Amino acid sequence: MATDKLEEIKTAVESRFGDSILSFDTKDGRIVLKVSAQASHEVLSLLKDLGFEHLSDVTGTDYIKDGEFEIAYHLWSHAKKIRAIQKIRISRESPVVKSIVDLWPGAQIHEREDHELFGIDFVGNPDLSPLFLEDWKEIPPFRKDFDTREYVKRRYYGD
Amino acid sequence: MATNNLEESEISFITIPFGPQHPASGHFHAKVKVDGENVVDLVAYPGYLHRGFEKLMEYRTHVQNTMLSDRVCILDPFSNEMAYVNVTELAVGIEAPLRGKFIRSIMAELGRILSHVTWIGITSMALGLESGTRISWGDREKIIRIQEILTGGRIYPCYYVPGGVRRDFSQEHIDEIFKLLDYIEKAMKLYDDLVFYNTTFMTRMENVGTLTKEDAIALGATGPNLRACGVAADVRVDEPYDGYPYVNVDVVTMEKGDSYARSLCRRGEIITSISIIRQLLEKMPAGDFKVKWAMTKKVPAGEAYFCCEAARGELCFHMVSDGSDKPYRVKIRGPSFSHALAIFPFLVRGSQLADVPAIYWSLDSCPADMDR
Repeated sequence: MATDKLEEIKTAVESRFGDSILSFDTKDGRIVLKVSAQASHEVLSLLKDLGFEHLSDVTGTDYIKDGEFEIAYHLWSHAKKIRAIQKIRISRESPVVKSIVDLWPGAQIHEREDHELFGIDFVGNPDLSPLFLEDWKEIPPFRKDFDTREYVKRRYYGD
Repeated sequence: MATNNLEESEISFITIPFGPQHPASGHFHAKVKVDGENVVDLVAYPGYLHRGFEKLMEYRTHVQNTMLSDRVCILDPFSNEMAYVNVTELAVGIEAPLRGKFIRSIMAELGRILSHVTWIGITSMALGLESGTRISWGDREKIIRIQEILTGGRIYPCYYVPGGVRRDFSQEHIDEIFKLLDYIEKAMKLYDDLVFYNTTFMTRMENVGTLTKEDAIALGATGPNLRACGVAADVRVDEPYDGYPYVNVDVVTMEKGDSYARSLCRRGEIITSISIIRQLLEKMPAGDFKVKWAMTKKVPAGEAYFCCEAARGELCFHMVSDGSDKPYRVKIRGPSFSHALAIFPFLVRGSQLADVPAIYWSLDSCPADMDR
């Protein structure tokens, strides 16, 4: 039953986006799909139409060795009871991606957080002002080249 | 914390700070723009409790991080430990024994009662019902006492470990928990009179801050705030984990979506939690309560993702491992982030100034969980 639903979603997504879908995994009843950054917004829009109406989270990860950021969109369908994670990779040098605020208004703050902590620019997000940090002048702190311990020593102990 | 979005030149409006003094909002600051009594806009300024736990976890081993995980939300530590140890178990590839899973679920439900009872106190305080505050915070101590006997920690138990729990239940603990449940059940009658069916409480809460089902889903509401809009979404039922597949979880939903419906949802959840703990204690299997796992062991490279139902809603941990003994990246999805920063400003716009605390506390946001 649950497998049928997953196969249905897989067919719907792959038939429309074909080459833009880099991988589609349905392990443990959960969808994990890797998508090219250009197609990300359209695929998310389709997933929303397929019933994934709850955007749980937008997670950034810094893969400094690959020179890339990964953004993971965590979705949940209240009707189908399925979780889906869509992942995209963008260049670390020019981290720009289209905002999904038009699909989920709740994405606004998630993108704002990722902008502050990773420096990713979400085009179309109306407010990307700092959320947590006051008078922050260093590089975005959740990047891997930011060393928290070195910063604390320098900032608070003058070493 | 951030730049001010309100137009300074609009002199007919007055901007009033809400928080960050503790009794008003709990280390959360917002600027409320009012035109007379009407709220025109609200801009939230979080960050007073941003400790950067996700980054700090990258510097510590998987077992050390359990100590950080319960500090994410002060009022609901067990749920955070639950999500953290489960995501670690998935990353490592171990599974806790059944007795350990049952104990974890029992303590998570006790933590839910603890969180909701504390919420009764804070909400009563925000609405001027002082006796509700005193009595519920007194009862909170009774729950904390059990937590202290069992785990040694009053506020931060640090009780769960990847692979189970630190200590086993004894018959004495089980008897104490049964006694506590009887007590809370009796206390609920008092809360009904003092708080839930009190005229002041009802007048302040009814038809205030009404959230529709569509808006709730679009803005990322979860937990009691979503269930109060009529959506029967509960991770304990939808993706059952630990002890929950073995018990009957009665999902409490309301239809109206206003502050009062959210309050009644929490009232119902205390009763559900009492029932779940009794079922778990009766079915508790004998045997080991944890599996042995070396504390400094390297974790295979890969990703793990786990969601649980915390007192405030969906709590998820996303862990990326690179093959070392420390996580490469941990992301915590706390329920209060969406509730306070997306839903609270949305509900407050167009309401009355006096309703702001009622709406804020009916959403039960935890600034610690919001800022991480």
